[in-house]
Amino acid sequence: MSDNGNKQHDNSFEPRITAFVCTWCTYTGADLAGTSRLQMESNVRIIRLPCTGRIDPLFIIKAFERGADGVIVSGCHPADCHYTAGNYHARRRFTVFRELMDFIGIDARRLTFSWVSASEGTKWKEIVDETTDRVRALGPFTAYHNLAGGAEEAMAGGVQ
Amino acid sequence: MKELQELARKLLTDGTVGVVIGWEEGPRGIRPYFCTRPEDADKLVFTPRCVHNLATYLSPRRSNVRELGKVAVVVKGCDNKAVAGLVRETQLKREDVVVIGVRCGGVVLDPYGPAELTANTVADRCPGCDVREPHNTDHLVGELPPPPPGEQRTAKLMSELEKSSPDQRWDFWIEQLSKCVRCNACREVCPMCFCERCLADKTQPQWIDSSPHPRGNLAWHLTRAMHQAGRCAGCGECERACPMDIPLMLLNRKVAQVVADSWGYKSSEDPAVAAPIGTFNKDDPQEFIK
Amino acid sequence: MPRIGVFICHCGENIARTVDVKRVAEALAEHPGVAYSTDYKYMCSDPGQTLVKQAIVEHKLDGVVVAACSPRMHEKTFRRAASSAGLNPYLCEMANIREHCSWIHEDREEATQKAIELTRMMVEKVKYNAPMQAIRIPVEKRALVIGGGIAGIQAALDLADGGAEVVLVEKEPSIGGHMSQLSETFPTLDCSQCILTPRMVEVYQHPRIKLLTFSEVENVEGYIGNFTVQIRRKARSVDEDLCNGCGDCIASCPVKKIPSEFECGLGKRTAIYVPFPQAVPNTPTLDRENCTLFKSRAKTGKDACMRCQKACQRGAINYNQQDRIEEFKVGAIVVATGFQLYKITKEQPRPGISGYGEYGYGTVPDVIDGLQFERLASASGPTAGKILRPSDGKEPKKIVFLQCIGSRDCAKGIEYCSKICCMYTAKHAMLYRHKVHGGQAYVFYMDIRANGKGYDEFVRRAIEEDGAKYLRGRVSKLYRDGEVIKVHGFDTLSSEPVVIDADMVVLATAMRAQPNIEALAQKLSVSYDKHAFLNEAHPKLRPVETNTAGVFLAGAVQAPRDIPDSVAMASAAAAKVLDLFSADELEREPTIAKVDATICTGCFHCERVCPYGAVEHKEIRDRKGNLIKVIADVNPGVCQGCGTCVATCPSKSVELQGFTDSQVFAEINALMG
Repeated sequence: MSDNGNKQHDNSFEPRITAFVCTWCTYTGADLAGTSRLQMESNVRIIRLPCTGRIDPLFIIKAFERGADGVIVSGCHPADCHYTAGNYHARRRFTVFRELMDFIGIDARRLTFSWVSASEGTKWKEIVDETTDRVRALGPFTAYHNLAGGAEEAMAGGVQ
Repeated sequence: MKELQELARKLLTDGTVGVVIGWEEGPRGIRPYFCTRPEDADKLVFTPRCVHNLATYLSPRRSNVRELGKVAVVVKGCDNKAVAGLVRETQLKREDVVVIGVRCGGVVLDPYGPAELTANTVADRCPGCDVREPHNTDHLVGELPPPPPGEQRTAKLMSELEKSSPDQRWDFWIEQLSKCVRCNACREVCPMCFCERCLADKTQPQWIDSSPHPRGNLAWHLTRAMHQAGRCAGCGECERACPMDIPLMLLNRKVAQVVADSWGYKSSEDPAVAAPIGTFNKDDPQEFIK
Repeated sequence: MPRIGVFICHCGENIARTVDVKRVAEALAEHPGVAYSTDYKYMCSDPGQTLVKQAIVEHKLDGVVVAACSPRMHEKTFRRAASSAGLNPYLCEMANIREHCSWIHEDREEATQKAIELTRMMVEKVKYNAPMQAIRIPVEKRALVIGGGIAGIQAALDLADGGAEVVLVEKEPSIGGHMSQLSETFPTLDCSQCILTPRMVEVYQHPRIKLLTFSEVENVEGYIGNFTVQIRRKARSVDEDLCNGCGDCIASCPVKKIPSEFECGLGKRTAIYVPFPQAVPNTPTLDRENCTLFKSRAKTGKDACMRCQKACQRGAINYNQQDRIEEFKVGAIVVATGFQLYKITKEQPRPGISGYGEYGYGTVPDVIDGLQFERLASASGPTAGKILRPSDGKEPKKIVFLQCIGSRDCAKGIEYCSKICCMYTAKHAMLYRHKVHGGQAYVFYMDIRANGKGYDEFVRRAIEEDGAKYLRGRVSKLYRDGEVIKVHGFDTLSSEPVVIDADMVVLATAMRAQPNIEALAQKLSVSYDKHAFLNEAHPKLRPVETNTAGVFLAGAVQAPRDIPDSVAMASAAAAKVLDLFSADELEREPTIAKVDATICTGCFHCERVCPYGAVEHKEIRDRKGNLIKVIADVNPGVCQGCGTCVATCPSKSVELQGFTDSQVFAEINALMG
């Protein structure tokens, strides 16, 4: 649940979630959540990029390959992009990517896309908590993590 | 056929082009033919075994073709979409190529197999084709045959997969993609795969594992399908070229369906029509975004 | 082997209360590539920064990661510190373990683990950071101001007084804009021409302002600091250098009945004319469409009339003058092209806007708009300042003013409020009472928007001192009935229908964008909304800039605006430009895109997605000059560093400095490793 005053350190599964966010809106919104001391799940790690336009589907594929159980992609609301149009291109790109992933058989619930503005600290907390709960319920993404990788497996650090 | 041969002869004789790329009857069956001399124009044919997408020879990677001089290429409607794609992406100037459209009633999948066009032999892309008479060509030859028989197997398989569960889909795809040996035939044959240095060959950093194992294979095919979004002409050559019988067109068709459903775009023979990835509408659908 | 320094900040208790900072420092000390790892109470303080600087020198660090607050707070601080110690500032990154960690988690174990992972991630990124230099582009210290109304005039004067060269382009024969057509201005009722004309003369006489009237912008190329603009100097048929403004040509002109644009059709002018007596410059302009000579030239090839040339003692009339193009190099552009008024006619200039059939589509006599009323009230207007009906010259005893005509009306296609109409309608009611002592003004309104300094008091004056009757409601219909205009309205406060026999009706029509402003906006690559008002870069924090670097906005071109706000905005735009001009070179963050020419195939997906048009075509030739290929090239002056091109490029031939593929790859790997 969302209020994690007492987290138990048993061996129950804790999902690893990578978030790719844009500097100007979501990253700032997450900062605002911090300044407002909104407590949230600790499973999400943010990678900062200038704009959602910079986010390549390859990032998501690589994150899953390397052990992520869930991925969040978040940026500015349409019409508010700091660079005017990056999020529109990202929206199109991820419309296709999401359907393609679903077609491949990757559970769409492992992927979260959101628009979180710089003033939406609360929304960011909700996205984090809701995604963490959802992915925790889905369990570890062993199907992807266990994909045979050949000789690279050793070098890439394999699966934890 | 006569019409095509006479046209080719004329284009070569008066020096308009240096080569006419079409099809000929080879020892095993139909194969592409680079006709450089007017007297050889009689070798050019158009039969239901002319499945090859000759637009691939217009790709900038094929510098040896460019050396033959100005090119005339014989295209079916589906092939013509690839020509338009190359022009759209500045790989080819429209005025630098003579496009000879040929009216088509469908082709067989195997150019070396039986010549008879039936529901079993027909190439998967043909049933339901809406470009049997190519547009935007410099010349148009041939009589319009009746529409091709049969129905699209890929479309059927796609809807079956969509009805199954995610786990079943995953199992299907991992089984299929595990067969991939990373020969890159799909990439080589595709007219729209013209990148000088393909992302799959990039090692610093290596986004796509290069060894022929499921992890890298999945990344490769997902990425290629994404890069083809809105660009794929739907010619099916990748699937035909694959030595491991992987249903690649299933991926490309799925992407094309998403593109059509989301933004109403279908691949076009007109280079002036803007591709959907690279453009946007302020009101693009976004129900999946929170 | 990299030698990276890691500095974990306690931020007092803000981080240290939840994150075990010592453990984080220890964990990072073990990390491959980390040469020095420590923790400190306040990294951003002077001693904290000194710690970083000393460590860089002592441990020969080639990279720095400060794990503390958000980089949005202190990235610049630590980059400056690193730079002063001799380390390239772009080799310094921050890990956010406060806003994104200590402040949002309570579990100490989880927070500490997360802080370690986040810091490791930035260490792995920094291994791929490359030293960069801020980009420097030269700046041409000349500004182009488009539009010579009050906003353009103010901007031009501020810029020129600030030391910049200015080229002021105005499409009409004189500067002054709509403000020169007004009689008095709210909220002080001072004479518009009296406060405006000294400014106009100042512009004309200023040594650093080049005034080009009867001219338009033909073409704009280039980018911030380095625009090349072409201005079309339309042919006046008068040589500006020879003309001394004597006016003999105007007196001699036999064509006297052309409706004057300045008088809004209420007065007449000659074919060779000066729009109003105080025009700047005072050079006449020949209206070739209505000139006898040009009409006969077109019909018979012969030149008729020629009276103005005969009258001119300086030989300044030149019937063969052609348009000419002048080119200027400018560093910044201020767009101050103002507005036009909506007309209630059936024919409308753009789709989506409708006229007012219920008010007769503009065919009912003595139904005029606000600017026309200003001309009537003007001492130098067609009626010498008397309020008289255009139809028969009689003094109206009752004037009905209708507010919100076009504005706030979705059915007509204009949903916004035009901001100035409540104020000028009150002003008109007051001027009317001052000039026609027995006259009665009625004002039909929806709301009163009088929110400036002294504005509400001004409207109250119109009601309490000058007896204007304000009726809250709209007019459903008006039509001519004999000598009067029957006005059918509704007073919602008394719930009574109202019928007034008006002698004159004045419509407060919507402020709209200038005709064909889209063409100019496209030349400047500035976006505009569906009403063709030009878009600012950010509605709250960047109101005078646009998304095109180097192009600024002033006045009603951006949205309906009154004179005080237009002047303020013009000065703000000028300040922004002077800021840009304050250094000889423009310094920009180097986190921009760069194309690898060896692998780019020239498919130009990047060009299509770039929101700023920063991608250009570059020809690659061999030694003999043969063209090998045409590839993409990013203009460092224009690129804003969003990286959309990078994600779109199928072959990754373009990289975004500071967020390269290698850097992101390293971050992803580090998080999972």
